[in-house]
Amino acid sequence: MPTQKYLCLQRSSPGRQMQQPSPAQMQEMYSAFNAWKEKFKANILDMGGRLKPGGKFLGESGVTDGPLVETKELIGGFMIIAAESYDHALGIAGACPGLIAPGSGVEVREIVGP
Amino acid sequence: MVEHFFRHEYGRLVATLARKAGLRHLSLVEDSVQGALHAALTAWTAHGPPDDPGAWLYRVAFNNLTGELRRTAGRLRILERTVGTVAEGEDPPAPSYFVGEVADDMLRMLFVCCDDAIPRHSRLVLALKTLCGFSVAEIALRLFTTEASVYKRLARARDRLRESPLDLQTPPFETLRARLPGVQAVLYLLFNEGYLSAHPEQAIRRELCDEAVHLTTLLAEHPVGAVPETFALLALMHLHAARLGARRDGMGGLLLLEEQDRSLWDRERMRQGAQWLERSATGEVFSRFHAEAGIAAEHCFAPSFGQTRWEEIAELYSMLERFAPSPLHMLNRAVAVAEWQGAIAGLAVLQGYVPPAWLVGSYLWDAVLGDLHRRAGNLEIARQHRERALASAPTEAVRELLRRRLIVPT
Repeated sequence: MPTQKYLCLQRSSPGRQMQQPSPAQMQEMYSAFNAWKEKFKANILDMGGRLKPGGKFLGESGVTDGPLVETKELIGGFMIIAAESYDHALGIAGACPGLIAPGSGVEVREIVGP
Repeated sequence: MVEHFFRHEYGRLVATLARKAGLRHLSLVEDSVQGALHAALTAWTAHGPPDDPGAWLYRVAFNNLTGELRRTAGRLRILERTVGTVAEGEDPPAPSYFVGEVADDMLRMLFVCCDDAIPRHSRLVLALKTLCGFSVAEIALRLFTTEASVYKRLARARDRLRESPLDLQTPPFETLRARLPGVQAVLYLLFNEGYLSAHPEQAIRRELCDEAVHLTTLLAEHPVGAVPETFALLALMHLHAARLGARRDGMGGLLLLEEQDRSLWDRERMRQGAQWLERSATGEVFSRFHAEAGIAAEHCFAPSFGQTRWEEIAELYSMLERFAPSPLHMLNRAVAVAEWQGAIAGLAVLQGYVPPAWLVGSYLWDAVLGDLHRRAGNLEIARQHRERALASAPTEAVRELLRRRLIVPT
């Protein structure tokens, strides 16, 4: 059982909307996602979730409209996984259906700590 | 998750919400349902599916719809008139997910799709979109047409629905009964799009057949559609579908009836087909569907190709010709007569007949004549027909089948 934790951030470029999937395609995605979840259930520590758009940034100068405007890609969701190594973590995140698609990708960061 | 759950929920929800909101909001209804399915994809993958996925989807779609209507209509008054009195924050009324009521909504929507005012080609597309939950791209793939053409047909259907005085609430029983032949025709077309399709993927063809069976079953089990013609239509679908899996060899090539492995035929389907056929025989009615179901039954229940009752089949084809005159039916009768009384008798059926241009251009005419002349010993004529049949075969699978069948000894 791996103990090293990784934070996965789903990023997508705004304005690059994918075509709406059909009901049949959605069911396929649903099945594929559940199969992925089942396969890596020992590695998925926190399924996290999708983030609502918007939000504000709180800094020294107070609250500003956020998220950080200079980021070209918006964070759309997150999860925390456990893996043997960074490559292993990349492999798990990369196998997640729907995460890597036109206009969308995943950033994987190792969490420092025991 | 049940096979086609998302697609079938789409059809049910659209049918139910279109009744509540009115047909003029059909596009909004479809968007709301699509949105609900999308929300389910996110929520259910994260937290697992709810106890009652159907009710969950209904609630979300309903909220989407009322929200959208509120935005577009602007005034609550209009909202109240269309969706009923739903105050903000209040739970929507309990979903009408009793089996009977959903079937009612689905059938109402089916009758709407078959409105006389909607052009014939648009009816099937509208049914595939709203009731079966196929996307435009998926419909285009299944009907061998372009997405642009599907969009165009859908737009025409929606235009007519907006103009049409008919609403889902209103059609009285008599109106629905009067439209029944139109509904049966669309279901028949839907089935044949799958059954006769040249689509290389068996699963895709099977899917359309299953949709047709699903909707026809709803119709047959409902008072408005429970007539012998519907029973016969359903019988013929089951009896044809029973043999669908055996029509291809392991390599995807087409198989002739006499080459098919009869043990692969679906016994359960055959049993259901026989049951509906029996029910269709109650009463005085004999329709083209009866004749076609009868022919399918003869093939299904013949112990072997050689023991097929060709005399019965030839007789059923001549009955079918009386109901629905078509050179194709005559051509099929010639084939049956040839099996029954020999190739010369078969050729006699077609003696003196001048086929229309479309039939001459298709491979069928030449394929049948090539086969009959070969068996009658007219080898030179057989060879000419063989060449023409091979040249006009629509797919490689059909060409391969013809090559095998129409070998002329030199």
